[in-house]
Amino acid sequence: MLSTENLSIGYHGQVIVKDVSFTVPHGKITALLGPNGCGKSTLLKALSRTIKPVSGHVYWQQKDVQNIAHKEYARLLAMLPQVQPIPEGLTTFDLIAYGRSPHNGFWGRLSQKDRAVIDQVMAASGVTELADKRVSELSGGQRQRVWLAMTLAQETPYILLDEPTTYMDLNHQVELLGNLRRLNHEGKTIVTVLHDINQAARYCDYLLVMHNGELVAQGTPAEVINQKLLKEVFAVNAQIFPDPVANTPMCVVDD
Amino acid sequence: MRATLGLPVLLLLVALLIVASFMLGAVPIPLAEILKIGQADFAHSFTLYQYRLPRAVLAVLVGGMMALAGALVQGVIRNPLASPDVLGISNGAGLLAVCFITLFPQSSAGAIPLVALLGSAMAALLLWLLVGRYPSETRLALTGVALAAFFAACIDFVMLLNPQEINTALLWLTGSLWGRNWVQVQLLLPWLLLVPVALLLVKPLNLLALDEQNARSMGVNVPLVRFAALALAVCLSGAGVAVCGPVGFLGLIAPHVTRRLLGSRHQLLLPGSFLVGAILLLFADLVGRVIDPPIEIPAGIVTAILGAPYFLWLLFRIK
Amino acid sequence: MQNTKSLSSYPALLAGLTLLLALLFWWSLFSWSAMNISARDALDAVFNHEAGNIAQTIVRELRLPRALVAIVVGCAMAAAGAVMQGLTLNPLASPSVLGINAGAALGMALVTTLGLWQGAFSTSVAAVIGAALAWLIVMSLGSWKAGGQSSRLVLAGIAVSALCMALTKALVILHENQAVAVLSWLAGGFVEARWPLFGKLWPVAVPALLFTLAFAPTLNLLSLGDENASHLGVVIWAVRLLGSALVLVLVGWTISLVGAIGFVGLIVPHVARKLTGYDYRRNMPVAMLMGACLVLLADIVSRAIAFPTEVPAGAILALFGTPVFIYLVRSRI
Repeated sequence: MLSTENLSIGYHGQVIVKDVSFTVPHGKITALLGPNGCGKSTLLKALSRTIKPVSGHVYWQQKDVQNIAHKEYARLLAMLPQVQPIPEGLTTFDLIAYGRSPHNGFWGRLSQKDRAVIDQVMAASGVTELADKRVSELSGGQRQRVWLAMTLAQETPYILLDEPTTYMDLNHQVELLGNLRRLNHEGKTIVTVLHDINQAARYCDYLLVMHNGELVAQGTPAEVINQKLLKEVFAVNAQIFPDPVANTPMCVVDD
Repeated sequence: MRATLGLPVLLLLVALLIVASFMLGAVPIPLAEILKIGQADFAHSFTLYQYRLPRAVLAVLVGGMMALAGALVQGVIRNPLASPDVLGISNGAGLLAVCFITLFPQSSAGAIPLVALLGSAMAALLLWLLVGRYPSETRLALTGVALAAFFAACIDFVMLLNPQEINTALLWLTGSLWGRNWVQVQLLLPWLLLVPVALLLVKPLNLLALDEQNARSMGVNVPLVRFAALALAVCLSGAGVAVCGPVGFLGLIAPHVTRRLLGSRHQLLLPGSFLVGAILLLFADLVGRVIDPPIEIPAGIVTAILGAPYFLWLLFRIK
Repeated sequence: MQNTKSLSSYPALLAGLTLLLALLFWWSLFSWSAMNISARDALDAVFNHEAGNIAQTIVRELRLPRALVAIVVGCAMAAAGAVMQGLTLNPLASPSVLGINAGAALGMALVTTLGLWQGAFSTSVAAVIGAALAWLIVMSLGSWKAGGQSSRLVLAGIAVSALCMALTKALVILHENQAVAVLSWLAGGFVEARWPLFGKLWPVAVPALLFTLAFAPTLNLLSLGDENASHLGVVIWAVRLLGSALVLVLVGWTISLVGAIGFVGLIVPHVARKLTGYDYRRNMPVAMLMGACLVLLADIVSRAIAFPTEVPAGAILALFGTPVFIYLVRSRI
């Protein structure tokens, strides 16, 4: 159970996220929405402990995450940053195998179980045939899937994703979001930053909407998405219709 | 206004430092004595005429020529990190000269400038072959320092292989003015003719500093100017190295200092760099002499101690 | 799979390198001696020592410690280079290029010439401190990240190196009053390597080398970038501190005992990666073995090249290392 309490985050004396308190609904897919620069990526980094809060707390089961050992936290929560470095010389297999490091011994020796997990996440992400290819030789979309596989290999109950669909073609976006739902059915809790409100409304169970560093709305898509919010947060005039396929709210921007 | 005052002020500084370098050394000569120059009761004429005067003249000429070379290189390739010493051209001259000294110890000293010149030309050519036409700022500098490191390693190696010649070579190599006299000044004089030639390039260099396309449309023959400026720089620094050895970072910092003082118009920048280079080398030589006489720290070491932090600062600034 | 393919050849590579090292070791015990030593003498001196045999005594008292020192130094410099390249994600990072060698030499020069502080390990500790200061300056100007910043880091290292070198030369000239001393003092070599020196070297270097091996899995995770590594449970600042400390101890300690042995740390990790891939757990042991072979070979060459006089091994390594440096600048930056 992941939650925050009066969380404020900033760099160089500048506050980016202000006094945010919420609880990530367990066993659900949660989307973090908001215009550029609203602090959603920063919030995700604080949840993943990449940056320390200025004040307030991030709790895992009522325990401040700053007091959890790094390796233990890496077994509870995995995170996929938006931009990935291209590690030199590593093969896809090597990279995904590094995802097992929170679980195995200090030398990183792969056990039978580690190998089974790696095979399974490679199959699930559709990168099995890329195992021996170098990550630097892959296309952008392939690379994104490989990094996702590494994150999955961490076998954590919680997964955080920062705009995972950004550099993907539409079909890969749909595939990825479908994958998230499947992982969710397997019991994982997912928090993802998304750009597209309609995608978030359709594929996610719970929305957290941020504006200027503050949490302005949270709830199910039907509860959260309305004309007033779209106007205030995204500065657009839009109509809300039910999505003809999934019946989730869908917004269509006015002229 | 400030710029027009700049050159006379620099000249005055050169004169002051020359007087100071007359006075200070293993045997200090008080100012009152120096003022008696030319009179019958001047007691120090031997020390002054045979040691300190040629040394001061050399410091002015070599410092000036190396700094001018640096200004030319920076003007043409518009890279703040470039100068013959950083790019390994000085060390190339040094390497060939050391090889020459160790292989032909009996040969006349007059040949060394030509050999050094050949060495600097080879180093410049090698650098050009390695980086191609339009390298990025840091890549050019990095290749240059790598080449410089290579030449330095070769120099060390040649000297360690020939321990009996090591003192002659080292004397010459550390960028020192110790033991130099009128012979070296004579060697240097013909190369001094290049200085007015460099001044012919001020206008095209100004235009080139704006933008290559602009310079072309104003009728500048860009490849010719570029070649002439680089060839001049190679000759000037080669000749300087031949006499004093590589003086670290002098060609790099002198033009930068001048630009801050006098602006970047080459009419002032080139002569200004010459004077600033002379001041820096006179100063470095003086510091090396007075720090713990009679031991002398080679001027090249003093300039490196001043210049390396400056290089770091430049690096920090260009981001 | 590439994984399994190289698995079978990896033990063979390790065995081959070990054999090569053993042969070089043997060769270095008897080759290029002013007094004639046979290959047999060298073996006997080690396994079947006969008291009073002069050739065997030379081997035992001079050659054996010298070869062992060269091996440990080679391992240490190669390991230090590999760790630095792993920490900075910079292919040119190495003790000589980033100014660590020059910083260590300056620290030592300060202590020896000014007589600031005397004690059994004062020069070694001073070398480690000097190296640490150089590293601090270079890293504050450069950056830990890969990419466009990497040439800045290297230029900063070279400038710091030039500064430290100039200060060292000035100190030594002021102290020794002759230029020749500077050169032989700055160029690293194994002429003075006897048993007491080995006795000072290994108790620090060998544990540090073992630590470095244990550090290999962490270096692997660092290659994924700071963010990903920290999500996998790596504490970035602690790892950098520990890795830097390892490098500084390895480099400072060896330099204070044998002088600057440059460019092993630059070249060897690259060759090791070419042979075994980018997994530090596999390439680190190979790099150490290759570093040992290279430095041992350089020591043999240092005696052979101008026999009967010796040229410092450090000068030979610099001569062959700098072209590789130029090559790496061209291909990797």
